[in-house]
Amino acid sequence: MASRYDRAITVFSPDGHLFQVGIRGTNIVVLGVEKKSVAKLQDERTVRKICALDDHVCMAFAGLTADARVVITRARVECQSHKLTVEDPVTVEYITRFIASLKQKYTQSNGRRPFGISALIVGFDDDGIPRLYQTDPSGTYHAWKANAIGRSAKTVREFLEKNYTEDAIANDSEAIKLAIRALLEVVQSGGKNIDLAIMRRNQPLKMFSAKEIELQVIAIEKEKEEAEKKKPKKTL
Amino acid sequence: MAATFFGEVVKAPCRAGTEDEEEEAEGRTETPEDREVRRQLARKREVRLFRRQTKTSLEVSLLEKYSCSKFIIAVGNNAVAFLSSFVMNSGVWEEVGCAKLWNEWCRTTDTAHLSPAEAFCVFYHLKSNPSVFLCQCSCYVAEDQQYQWLEKVFGSCPKKNMQVTILTCRHVTDYKTSESTSSLHSPFLKALKTQNSKEPPCCSLLEQPNIVHDLPAAVLSYCQVWKIPAILYLCYTDVMKLDLITAEAFKPVLSSRSLKGLVKNIPQSTEILKKLVMTNEIQSNIYT
Repeated sequence: MASRYDRAITVFSPDGHLFQVGIRGTNIVVLGVEKKSVAKLQDERTVRKICALDDHVCMAFAGLTADARVVITRARVECQSHKLTVEDPVTVEYITRFIASLKQKYTQSNGRRPFGISALIVGFDDDGIPRLYQTDPSGTYHAWKANAIGRSAKTVREFLEKNYTEDAIANDSEAIKLAIRALLEVVQSGGKNIDLAIMRRNQPLKMFSAKEIELQVIAIEKEKEEAEKKKPKKTL
Repeated sequence: MAATFFGEVVKAPCRAGTEDEEEEAEGRTETPEDREVRRQLARKREVRLFRRQTKTSLEVSLLEKYSCSKFIIAVGNNAVAFLSSFVMNSGVWEEVGCAKLWNEWCRTTDTAHLSPAEAFCVFYHLKSNPSVFLCQCSCYVAEDQQYQWLEKVFGSCPKKNMQVTILTCRHVTDYKTSESTSSLHSPFLKALKTQNSKEPPCCSLLEQPNIVHDLPAAVLSYCQVWKIPAILYLCYTDVMKLDLITAEAFKPVLSSRSLKGLVKNIPQSTEILKKLVMTNEIQSNIYT
């Protein structure tokens, strides 16, 4: 069967395990990931899924940690090399294409295996336009307005399709809430298993602390309750 | 002849037999030592059925000793976790025997408290209805041991009035289909049944050219030959370790004729399953 060949590319199923969501707002880009539960004695800080590639680009990945480390290092070096050579920071599309080409090379080389990671790359170009791209182990990449990878990604994508409106994303805090709401659809233990990062135009990557995420979750739950209360009144 | 990665040429093994076979056969006469090694290896790979409480082995096959109307077999950790949470927690099950076997992939454990991470093969029957049997098999049964397992469990002349249900998992990359991979939403269930099985399956049948492997295939083939109604529910999943979503994918089976009446409290069972998966989550740092 023809489809057997593309099956091997996804045999790691890096998107099968943990969940990620990316949202491109008007003035903000948001990356949300499902945190991996760590052993009690393990230092949580060593398990980072969201990392900066440059001041204006960052990436969230799911899959083989060691593979991700290699790809991230190569991408970071490329960002600086590009800056030194052409005196301009990379565009988000350029670095995504670099990562995707790297991944593709490994699917077609003798004695090598593909990188077992799926990534969401976000950032702002020099012209101030926000971007969101997704790559997968086969080396393909696509631009998205909002996307989710991982188990139940289909359900979350449907949720995003319904709730991604121009009004929602024009407002920074609404875009953040949308990302958290999307994650809460699938992450089983709620706010404490979520990691969130945002990037605003000309500003560096900002990682949300556990407390900040908890506050957002509480606000979202309050809004949900209020929306539920309003419903029966309308039918009266 | 085949070329290896390093460029050397090696003689590829040929099952069709070579011209030099006669000469080779002369050089291959068995010494008493060879026979002894072969005997010891065969003894090591024997499948033994015994009662853990009394440590006595079963003289006759399990289903010859007891009469059986329903036999549910779970092969693999996800199927075992599902039956454990949904069926075994809904009734009082008594252990009637366990299979002890050794092969290169696993050695069954003897411990009293079995965790999903260990390899075991235990048989139970329902105290309130002793003709209902259950087998939790989380060890790999090698090809040469499958026939022994079947003989020790079913016997050489099995009765046809029992209904056999088998639950197992397989990785989705083994599933052959002309559909594109993106339209496959794993985990999903497929069924395969013997000719005598009149029970309507609770999911679609496994399409050709897909095949079933290992112990579930051996049991199904055995049932087909002996005209025993049997049905296999195969869950194709993308996560082969113990996983909540995969184990829950077996839920449609609860409405089947074989499992109906054996499951009491589904929400409580779901909670038990969640707990089982959480406590046995092996922390692997290979994935982030």
